[in-house]
Amino acid sequence: MKRIVTVCLAAGMLAGCAGIGVDPWDRGVLARADMQLDAYPTDAALDDHIYFSKEASSGGRGFGGGGCGCN
Amino acid sequence: MKYRDTTIGHAVAAATCTLLGSTAPALAEDEAARWDFDTALLYYGEDNDRVRDLSASILTRRDFDDDRYLSLDLTVDSLTGASPSGAIAMDGPQTFTSPSGDDVYETAAGQVPLDDTFLDTRYALDLGWTQPFARLYTMTAGLGFSTEYDYTHLGANLGVTRDFNRRNTTLSAAVAWAQEDIDPVGGTPLPFALMQDVGNNSSKTGTDTKDVLDLLLGVTQVIGPSTVLRVNYSYSDSSGYLTDPYKILSVVDPVTGDTVEHAPASGALGPTGVYRYELRPDSRRKQGLYAELKHDFTGKVLGVSYRFGTDDWGIDSHTLDARLRWPIGEFNYVEPHLRYYTQSAADFYRFSLLDGDPLPSFASADARLADLDGMTLGLKYGHKTASGSEWNARVELYQQSGNVPGDQLIGNQSRREQFPGLDAVIVQIGYRFKL
Repeated sequence: MKRIVTVCLAAGMLAGCAGIGVDPWDRGVLARADMQLDAYPTDAALDDHIYFSKEASSGGRGFGGGGCGCN
Repeated sequence: MKYRDTTIGHAVAAATCTLLGSTAPALAEDEAARWDFDTALLYYGEDNDRVRDLSASILTRRDFDDDRYLSLDLTVDSLTGASPSGAIAMDGPQTFTSPSGDDVYETAAGQVPLDDTFLDTRYALDLGWTQPFARLYTMTAGLGFSTEYDYTHLGANLGVTRDFNRRNTTLSAAVAWAQEDIDPVGGTPLPFALMQDVGNNSSKTGTDTKDVLDLLLGVTQVIGPSTVLRVNYSYSDSSGYLTDPYKILSVVDPVTGDTVEHAPASGALGPTGVYRYELRPDSRRKQGLYAELKHDFTGKVLGVSYRFGTDDWGIDSHTLDARLRWPIGEFNYVEPHLRYYTQSAADFYRFSLLDGDPLPSFASADARLADLDGMTLGLKYGHKTASGSEWNARVELYQQSGNVPGDQLIGNQSRREQFPGLDAVIVQIGYRFKL
């Protein structure tokens, strides 16, 4: 009985997750260049380098290219 | 129909294929438009003769069949200007031995001492390869190399992503290794060694290295037709030489808080005070949690992100970033930008060392490890041409301020300028195009 309940709960949660999102034909806005999460990688890399040199934290968004002898 | 001139495209394609060890594919007309270029020129300038940097960056991406692509990123930076050395301001002028040990530099009365740094040029090259394997899986691999006068970095990374839930959910995992060689001007200072007179390099030794391991786990989730969310967990483990070889601490009188005086040997040039080179731990473990949301509302895109960082040096940080891309007609946009950053000081951050006290295990007066806040305000403008290229320009103002805890200020130190705040301007122009 316990196993059935667990499986049902897990399936329910997965079904809930499956509900979040959009159908493939509904991706017009999401496909736009300005909606991409890494829309301007050059800006991001240059900014990361500046803040890495001036502050004590870095990264989080992805792996920055290269390193720097500044921190 | 005539071919566009793809001479550059052919040459770069041949070069990269040689790099990958495969034969160059015959370029058909429809492949001629599959090189994407993203170029930028950036100027960063701080006030008061401090750091100025000019960077040129070229990012190029070549798409192949079946969702495979190669990316190449080349950046050249030219750095000049001075940065705070960690020594404290005094009522009178101060003299310091330069990093090379061959000369001295001076600081005026009442001024926070600035490292008289040298011109340095940095070159960085990153290569990346992405390709799908099996349905719903993508792998990425990359190599990175950068070099400057006193430092070399070599790195590699590997990652995998997997889509779920009708491609609405993507899980990703990536790992990166890096090795860095540090060869400071004048040599690596011995732990807490005293700054010596010109020509005396007894406080300095040779070169050193550092290794870094980074791990990134992330999930990207489509929330709705106009909204996407990304959450990343990152872990970083650095070990080796993590000290800044050019930063020092002033050794001060425990009552007055003034730097203990030093007289150079007769006939020699040297420091006018007692200064010690800093020392940081030889390992650092950092963790971060990053969340980013992008939402479109009737053509305008709002991007907000928050990052929390913590590490075993006692530094906790919060970063909040917001951008609003506002289209103007079909071909132009403006994008205001706001960033707020705050961090707590490292456990071993010290404003100065007390004369006569035993030396701590670690200490640094580097303002970048202090309790500080940073604010950036920026505006970007972009223009798309009919052929799909884009010109853009942005101007940002970055201001940093910090504070030294009251219990670290001794005697006369309280009435002088303590934290060397920062005011900088960032100007960038960029051009994106396809070949």
